[in-house]
Amino acid sequence: MSRILVYCGFRQSPELVLPTLGVNAAPVQLRSLDDLSLLWSEVDWPFDPQRMQRSAVEFHEVVQQVFKQTAVIPFRLLSVLDDLPAFTAFATANRERFLQDLNRLKDFVQMECVIYPAPSQTPIDRSSGKAYLEQKAVALRSSEGLAQAVQDSVAHLSREVRVREGKNGTRIFVLVERGRENDFRQAVTTIPIPTHLSRRVSGPWPAAEFLSEQVKIPQMDGAAKAK
Amino acid sequence: MGHGRRIPLSPMPNDFETLETLGGEDEVSLLEILDHVLNSGVVIHGSLVISLAGVDLVYLGLNVVLTSVETALSNLQIEEKRSLK
Repeated sequence: MSRILVYCGFRQSPELVLPTLGVNAAPVQLRSLDDLSLLWSEVDWPFDPQRMQRSAVEFHEVVQQVFKQTAVIPFRLLSVLDDLPAFTAFATANRERFLQDLNRLKDFVQMECVIYPAPSQTPIDRSSGKAYLEQKAVALRSSEGLAQAVQDSVAHLSREVRVREGKNGTRIFVLVERGRENDFRQAVTTIPIPTHLSRRVSGPWPAAEFLSEQVKIPQMDGAAKAK
Repeated sequence: MGHGRRIPLSPMPNDFETLETLGGEDEVSLLEILDHVLNSGVVIHGSLVISLAGVDLVYLGLNVVLTSVETALSNLQIEEKRSLK
């Protein structure tokens, strides 16, 4: 059984060098609808769980090759369409929204900073429930302070910022002008951090966090149900 | 997803250990790649079906998918160990 795996969408340009092989060595194909281009492969479905990691890296490399040259709208690895007619209907229904987002994000990349508790730096205070909660509150305030310091330090670089709190820490997504990634890294890494916290910087990534909601979860009008 | 269970399929670096890809220019961890390709970007609306061991598992969201696949894979491993005994 095969499915249509879509890697990313972008504005077509003759200068772009496109990848030829995708997940599980499937040929990468190009579907263009006016200005919008989509890279896709026909893949065996379901994926073999034994090579899921490799599939993820292969998928990432296809998207990354295009992203290095231009703005892209990345798709998710486990999101596939039934067949070519469904893909065509999907692309036609969403072309305009995709192009609007590509236009809005064309000069930007997504940089990230994650703040999380440093492993084993501070022993957990188990002397009482109150002591434990106080320790947690101090750690939370400290983390919030550092997150704010990070945002302040990159304010001059950021077009937009999103912050998400997760169980593993605070994740800060910053929309940065392409070419200013090192400025971002430099600004963030010069902030002193408390010993009980760690910081990790990554990017550039496609600006997936800043896609409009209609693009993140696009409509399926006229398309067969995705599986 | 940083400290979640790993999908125990092939040699994998420690959490956030870096891995060179794309000709060695960019250093990025495998966990970050997995996180981005599974959790970021366009999700095609509709239910998603993943078959594992001949059983179709239906999920509604990609965040749910990752956790559930990990759990499913973990369960499969346990089953495999049992069958080897």
